[in-house]
Amino acid sequence: APRESGLRVCGWRRPCLGDQKQPCPDYAKERYGVSSMIQSQEKPDRVLIRIKDLTVEKADEVVWVRGRIHTSRAKGKQCFLVLRQQQFNIQALVAVGQHASKQMVKFAANINKESIVDVEGVVRKAHQKIGGCTQQDVELHVQRIYVISLAEPRLPLQLDDAVRPEVDGEEDGRATVNQDTRLDNRVIDLRTSTSQAIFCLQSGICQLFRETLIRKGFVEIQTPKIISAASEGGANVFTVSYFKSSAYLAQSPQLYKQMCICADFEKVFCVGPVFRAEDSNTHRHLTEFVGLDIEMAFNYHYHEVVDEIADTLVQIFKGLQERFQTEIQTVNKQFPCEPFKFLEPTLRLEYREAVAMLREAGVEMGDEEDLSTPNEKLLGRLVKEKYDTDFYILDKYPLAVRPFYTMPDPVNPKNSNSYDMFMRGEEILSGAQRIHDPQLLTERAQHHGIDLEKIKAYIDSFRFGAPPHAGGGIGLERVTMLYLGLHNVRQTSMFPRDPKRLTP
Amino acid sequence: MIQTPDADFDVTNIIQSDECSPLTTNGADLDLMLGKDYGALKDIVINANPSLPPLSLLVLHSLLCERYKILSAVHTHSSVKSVPENLLKCFGEQTKKQPRHEYQLGFTLIWKDVPKPQMKFSIQTMCPIEGEGNIARFLFSLFGQKYNAVTSTLIDSWVDTAIFQLKEGSSKEKGAVLRSMNAALGKTSWLVGNELTVADIVAWGALQQTGSANAAPANVQKWMKSCENLAPFSSVMKLLK
Repeated sequence: APRESGLRVCGWRRPCLGDQKQPCPDYAKERYGVSSMIQSQEKPDRVLIRIKDLTVEKADEVVWVRGRIHTSRAKGKQCFLVLRQQQFNIQALVAVGQHASKQMVKFAANINKESIVDVEGVVRKAHQKIGGCTQQDVELHVQRIYVISLAEPRLPLQLDDAVRPEVDGEEDGRATVNQDTRLDNRVIDLRTSTSQAIFCLQSGICQLFRETLIRKGFVEIQTPKIISAASEGGANVFTVSYFKSSAYLAQSPQLYKQMCICADFEKVFCVGPVFRAEDSNTHRHLTEFVGLDIEMAFNYHYHEVVDEIADTLVQIFKGLQERFQTEIQTVNKQFPCEPFKFLEPTLRLEYREAVAMLREAGVEMGDEEDLSTPNEKLLGRLVKEKYDTDFYILDKYPLAVRPFYTMPDPVNPKNSNSYDMFMRGEEILSGAQRIHDPQLLTERAQHHGIDLEKIKAYIDSFRFGAPPHAGGGIGLERVTMLYLGLHNVRQTSMFPRDPKRLTP
Repeated sequence: MIQTPDADFDVTNIIQSDECSPLTTNGADLDLMLGKDYGALKDIVINANPSLPPLSLLVLHSLLCERYKILSAVHTHSSVKSVPENLLKCFGEQTKKQPRHEYQLGFTLIWKDVPKPQMKFSIQTMCPIEGEGNIARFLFSLFGQKYNAVTSTLIDSWVDTAIFQLKEGSSKEKGAVLRSMNAALGKTSWLVGNELTVADIVAWGALQQTGSANAAPANVQKWMKSCENLAPFSSVMKLLK
């Protein structure tokens, strides 16, 4: 056989194969082995084909593929491998014959799972659909196989276990992987088709967020994360040492967004980490998450801003529906859920309507009482039942339950120009028209008992003329989780941070 | 002649003596009809398929707007890919000058992939109402018109005839309905009595959608003209173009 030009073959590892006798000469010796470590020695012309592109159109072509050994199963003179690349996989067959010797089959069968291999093979149309592979209509008949990076023999978790849907009852008692094991071994857990799909979709959310806002004439800004004063009151803030004094980690970019508005950027957004020192161990709280923040100057009514934010989210939902259908299906296989439904334009209810709906459903609550988590969920169900939407806005919150910088309602002083947005009954965005008048801001801060010295810089920002403005912040992980109908925000944070987890 | 289970009993005369009052005079208490008021907007939600717009409900919406202070909204549900521009603007340009709770009634139309129109109001105390005819009956009841048993049966019967035979029936059935409509309209100016009822509205909508409006007999043609002389009908007519 002609020597392969690209990679040098170093022979295979005798001990792990246990083949002592070598009864006959190996005629395929050059066609398999462990490749020497790639140190960028050469730059061969070899073209590697993506596994997702291996379809019947490529039938009978000889291709090179790089993938991981997902599973391997030896059976006499042949060995079936499943090669995986991101969410996609294909069945490969190494069978004793013209191109492969008995030794080569044995070598292939003994490569540890998760190892990365380069394979040369002929694409063949499968006689029947191959279940369990994304490329169901073709298989790869291997002619050469070289190990590029060997995985250790024992894996901390099995990928097949990690994508198994959780079934109710004692269906078959097959293994699943618990969340801590997954998070402790996140690199492997992230390789699963479900994780791959989740984070592709999350990237899509960011992309669509940017695309939509830039099209609407927004400017992306970067704000500092190390700040001198706690932005919202002072609770729930991380203190870090800062040379000889201390500083805080930003709880939200709000002050800086507002300063940009005062600096005449008119419409701004930013994507960045946000820190919350809340000791809450729930399915939806993280101590560090990615905030998608919007702030916008408006002409006469803050609904101009609400409509813009809501439309941005609708454009994101539509974009996901169009561009990420494969990813949504992949996640649904493990975590089945109803497709995300929404209305255009977005449904906007007022807080008093929400209270009325809840009262009608038998909940006792005051007009100025905040929504408790169970009531929030119940309201989500009631709204879904009536309007069949998983996304809606609740407008006009009672002033008493909102931060001091929230603009009061011009008619009813007990209400405010503030709003929350909900996905599948859970809050994803909180926002308001901000007070842009230093006098009123001072009064409101005093009313809340806030030390004026501490927020002097904030109030001073509005002293040199400030446009009326409103905005809000969205949690990226929550949006991803709720769009896909997942039940824990840790599934949609690559390396989640919560009160109990700081690694990996 | 009205067919009743008791064939000897001819109610034709009773109907003629029954007086219908015009829609605009009767006072109706929405709170009484729609249940307890929690100080928030009472919102009627109607789901309809944009491929077959429920014309009668749009007419009723316009009529209700003449009577009550109504907050109207049109939405597109994510189950529908695109909705023609004229259907999105079927309630005209909405200018919301007042706070939501100051409106007497909300009317929310959602263009959605549904087999037939569906209405939801109070999800706690009321089941969804299905079908254009049934929703039309509900909406018409908000005018607070009171009819005697015979008249309301007659109106009900025309509504069913319009939906099941005129709109969804075979051409033979349609022909039969047009003939009986022609006969009825020979005696009175509207299908039931001398005032507009829900029967006229639903029958008009069905006739528009069957496309057989031009082939209708003389009395029906005349009746259609009278309908279309009313603003709520003519504005819906514009949607069809």
